[in-house]
Amino acid sequence: MESFRFRLAALVMRHRGLTAMIFVLITAFFAVGIRNVELKTIFSDLLPKDDPFVQVFKDHPNFGNPLTFTLMIKHKNGDIYNTETLSKVWQLTRDIDLAPGVDHDQILSIATEKARYAEATPYGIDMRPLMEDHVPSTPAEIAEFRQRVDKSPNARTFLISGDETATLINATFIEQRLDYGEAFKYVHGLVAKYKDADHDVYMAGQPALTGWVYAYESQMFWIFAATLGALILALALYMRNVVGIVTPIVTSLVAAIWGFGFVGWLKSPIEPLLMIVPLLLVARSFSHCVQFTERYYEVYSHVGDRVKAAEITMGVMMAPSVLGIFTDIVGIFLIAIAPIPAMERFALFCGFWAIWLIPTGVVLISLLLATLPAPRNVDRLIGKGQTGGLHHGFQSLLRNIAKLSYGRTARFTTVIVAVLAVVAVYESLQIRIGNPVEGSNLLWYDSEYNEAVREINAHFPGVNTLEIVLEAKNPNDPARVARQADTVMTMMRLQSIMEQGANPPRATLSFADYLMEGNRLFAGGNPKWLPLDPDNAATNAAATAVTVGSSSKAFSHVIDFDQENSTVSLWYKDNKQGTVDAALKAASAAVQEVGIDHDKFTVRLGTGTIALQQAMNEVVERFHWVIIGLLNLVILAGCSLAYRSLVAGLILLIPVNLANFILNAAMHLIGIGLDINSLMVAAIGVGVGIDYGIYLLSRICEEYHAQDKDWGRAITASLTTTGKAIMFTATIMFIGILPWYFLSGLKFMADMGLLLVLTMLINMVLALVVLPLLVWLVKPRFVERKDLLVGEGVDLSQFTAEGQHDNSVPGHLAGAMK
Amino acid sequence: MHIRKYDVDYGRRALLQKAALGAGAGVLAPLWPLIASGADTSKAYPDENMSVEMYTKGKVKTGDYVTAANVDAVKNLLDPITYKQVKEMGRKIKIVPTVTDASLLYPMGFLEASLKNKGKAKFDATGNIVEAASGKPWIGGLPFADAKDANEAIANLTLSWGRHDYCQYAIRQWDIAPDGNQAYQYDFVWAELQAQARVDGTVFQGKDDLLRLQSVWFTAPQDTAGSSFLSTWYYDQRKFPDLYGYLPAFRRVRQFPTNQRFEPLLPGITWFLSDAWAAGDPMLTWGNYKIVGRQPMLGAVSQNWHGSSKNWELPVHGGPKGQTFFDTNFSMCPECIVLEAEPTGYPRAPVGKKRVWIDVRNQQFVAYITFDRRGEMWKSFEPGWSRYQDGSAIVKDAKGNSDWSWTYVLSHDIQANRMSRIMHTESTSGGYKSQLSTNGVDVYNKYLTNQAIQRLGTA
Repeated sequence: MESFRFRLAALVMRHRGLTAMIFVLITAFFAVGIRNVELKTIFSDLLPKDDPFVQVFKDHPNFGNPLTFTLMIKHKNGDIYNTETLSKVWQLTRDIDLAPGVDHDQILSIATEKARYAEATPYGIDMRPLMEDHVPSTPAEIAEFRQRVDKSPNARTFLISGDETATLINATFIEQRLDYGEAFKYVHGLVAKYKDADHDVYMAGQPALTGWVYAYESQMFWIFAATLGALILALALYMRNVVGIVTPIVTSLVAAIWGFGFVGWLKSPIEPLLMIVPLLLVARSFSHCVQFTERYYEVYSHVGDRVKAAEITMGVMMAPSVLGIFTDIVGIFLIAIAPIPAMERFALFCGFWAIWLIPTGVVLISLLLATLPAPRNVDRLIGKGQTGGLHHGFQSLLRNIAKLSYGRTARFTTVIVAVLAVVAVYESLQIRIGNPVEGSNLLWYDSEYNEAVREINAHFPGVNTLEIVLEAKNPNDPARVARQADTVMTMMRLQSIMEQGANPPRATLSFADYLMEGNRLFAGGNPKWLPLDPDNAATNAAATAVTVGSSSKAFSHVIDFDQENSTVSLWYKDNKQGTVDAALKAASAAVQEVGIDHDKFTVRLGTGTIALQQAMNEVVERFHWVIIGLLNLVILAGCSLAYRSLVAGLILLIPVNLANFILNAAMHLIGIGLDINSLMVAAIGVGVGIDYGIYLLSRICEEYHAQDKDWGRAITASLTTTGKAIMFTATIMFIGILPWYFLSGLKFMADMGLLLVLTMLINMVLALVVLPLLVWLVKPRFVERKDLLVGEGVDLSQFTAEGQHDNSVPGHLAGAMK
Repeated sequence: MHIRKYDVDYGRRALLQKAALGAGAGVLAPLWPLIASGADTSKAYPDENMSVEMYTKGKVKTGDYVTAANVDAVKNLLDPITYKQVKEMGRKIKIVPTVTDASLLYPMGFLEASLKNKGKAKFDATGNIVEAASGKPWIGGLPFADAKDANEAIANLTLSWGRHDYCQYAIRQWDIAPDGNQAYQYDFVWAELQAQARVDGTVFQGKDDLLRLQSVWFTAPQDTAGSSFLSTWYYDQRKFPDLYGYLPAFRRVRQFPTNQRFEPLLPGITWFLSDAWAAGDPMLTWGNYKIVGRQPMLGAVSQNWHGSSKNWELPVHGGPKGQTFFDTNFSMCPECIVLEAEPTGYPRAPVGKKRVWIDVRNQQFVAYITFDRRGEMWKSFEPGWSRYQDGSAIVKDAKGNSDWSWTYVLSHDIQANRMSRIMHTESTSGGYKSQLSTNGVDVYNKYLTNQAIQRLGTA
């Protein structure tokens, strides 16, 4: 009783008022910080910052049209050459110019003046808009319009589909004026307005994706509320008393205030896409409170004094609670090893939230238990007297599960577990990296956005691009590097090499294409004038020809505003890993062939969806095993210290790692690859999953003595007490997280929810079966010790006048009293 | 000095009332008789319209700088983009004495023509401006010196841009990016020759179907040098001007669509042809003209010529890199017409409307902003004007008077936050000098035909 934890517990209980005041003050401090909390998806922060592709992306964010909404109008039963369809294009073009934050200089469709055709006349070059100041309405006007389109190769490739049934409207927004939510709402409203029986309208582009994510994130709050409601209901059904319900809610709420307030004061935005993890922490806090409260009930039942019972419980539960939370903290903080800014911020947010579970889940909860009215149904809850149906059912089930782990049955269980382990490890090692989807992996396959991307990809070069950037060495070079001969010739060589390679892209585009077309037109119109002379005079002349009378914004997809940096865009039919690998290999060879270092610029591979997808895959590949390995090491050290035994650490780690292998094997068998989600889930799964083992192993240690060193009885007694709390905990997690899979419009969130639920369930089963089995097989010596840091035993006779008067004291307590 | 029998808000109320009634300029007395007699124009206005000190109750005085600290005191005297520049972007503006001699706001020849022909103009059935007596095109000077409605006001701006029969401006332009760095810099020459509505009362070489010929040719940087444009304006303000461009490297003339008025001439430039002189398009291609108010303003109408500086260039300040704005001098303009119009003749225009503040003393604009179709502010096109006299430096007209012209323009795209600083300089690359008359040169054949702009490209 002289240990620090009991002295601390006594001190807290002696100064309950002061301790409560400290909690109130700290909570008030963090509550003030909440006003600074910002929930914000910063898409570029979801990318690994040390990846060379991501660095190119961040240095040249304007390439790849990150601020462009792309709308496709498709005629369902014919081509676009009719007044009705063309009127829609005209009006939609005019309406999108009214969008908040749109750049009026960067709206492009066949109805804008920027879509032009050119004719060489005896007097010079006549460049005119494809469409006059009104929509073609007569057959003659429509025929004339079609002829003009035929004279505009760029319009035919990039604005009108090959089958002539669809046309695009591109609207680029001004970054500092773009409110994604507002713009999305407006443009999506146009999609609904212009759809009809004959026309489909599709909306894609990065701002559309962001808008969808924001829209679904607002839906997230309702799911959050519903899930929390379900958690509280489950708690109420299980506890059926005020203390049991109020304590977890207040404790978890205070931890949440501290968690949010902390990042509020740091002014570090929270990534909403990962908000399922805080919910896991709430569930974790709830389940921890349940474990704590159940132990309090047992003690209270014996000592009959709220304050004393709370003090004893705090002393008893402090070490296992801290150890359990420590593993959570390690798991969450280790996520930050992956150099992804959103994850680093999130590890900070959730890691500290997990740290806050220690003072709230050890001290605050004890204060609450000492203060709130004593429950009347304690005896039922701890299994004394008549137990409730739910509790009875749990106990019966667990008694049967316990039988799997000792005696003769254990041999069969061992064989089955061994076979399962071999299969799981083999299968999980076959898992592939990445989950390529056409569109965005953040959204479901059949989401409106992904459907739009598929449709646009089917009709146009599409959205799967690889960008090779020609970066000016001097960003203010007065010679305008993008117009210089070496730059332009390098663009053309890159395009030529890629187009003639083994896996050619479906389309390529660079500023050189516009220059050649300008050269042809201004040289008289004959295609023989397409090639540019390889000198600065010729390329500059062509550049002036194409940019005169327009803004350089019109070419912002291939050159920057200052005409210094430029890109070669390569379009691919899909983003499957085979395509990505082949594209990057070919591009890398092409870059080597043209040379990376030039006099005025450097060739950098690259950016675009293909390169960024590869960056994400590589970060998973690089860090998946590193994170798991480090996590194992840290947890092994912590647990070995706590149990003063390396064997204890290994016994705890085997089930959680096996759970991870089983999860990965299951993912491989159903065709899911490792991605950033599974990276997080693996870390959290090991960190949180090991809690079950810690609670159960600590109980086994105590029951071993209480059950006269009978391993079988010790296992059975542990499973029917702590095992019950573990099952309830797992149920709480299940209720808290699984609904996300069905309710969330964000596949990213749903996937993470599903994977977390699966990993928690697998961990629960393995903790209840494999951990006792290992104990039975190994029969470790540390179990025999009574001075374990995480020991839960206590001699309650010191706290009661009658001493050992109660024959129905639970085994471990009775044992401890001896 | 006036007896202050009126309270300090009298001028504002009186101008509002005048705007509603469609009355002419002047509050205490009609303005134009004073101008015609060469009298002090301050007799036409209460003190608070003539003095920024009186208007702000001493918060801002002549000689002070308007800065972020005190700009709120003159917020109602600035267009909203200028206010934003001072309040948020580090611009400062010096206040100089109010001009009381209206002749200083004109080239003398143009003022004389305006006075001589005052009252002789009218609109014909097509909406064009004609001499009332003959029904023929306008004969020079302001057609409606004391404009009472929006059509008269825009006619004054449109019919003679530079207020000389021939102007040739050597121009240097810096285009400043949102981060304050210089993105582009161009040297070019802008020439405009009045075919009709000339100060000398003649029709240029019998071209009675034209209003003016106007060309732009770029002289630097090297890659754009020789690129040139020729715009031919018809007198009939319902017709779009012809626009041709010339690219020397190809020796080709390119014809632009006549209604392509909302695109920059070259990359990096923020202003459109439509913005020039706040009346860059034929007046009848716009519509829904209305006067929405009359108010005093602060405008850069005098003391803005730095003839003693190298190449007449103004110092710069403000913005992220200290080079976004020119150093400019503003003074009180006691009465400005606030005019609005919509680009009704351009079904694809990205502009929703323009608002122009016109100083009634010389019927010239002092502020101009465009709005997008959502009604949000888009661009400003702020001019600076001055008599060309700066100490001993002076540019004289044919009669020996100091001449008058624009000195600078700040064209600010407030949405993209890009600024074009445009300077009327003494000379520019290629050796072209600014001049406000032909000086006896055959400028038409030299600068204002398709053959001429082709020759300019090869020079």
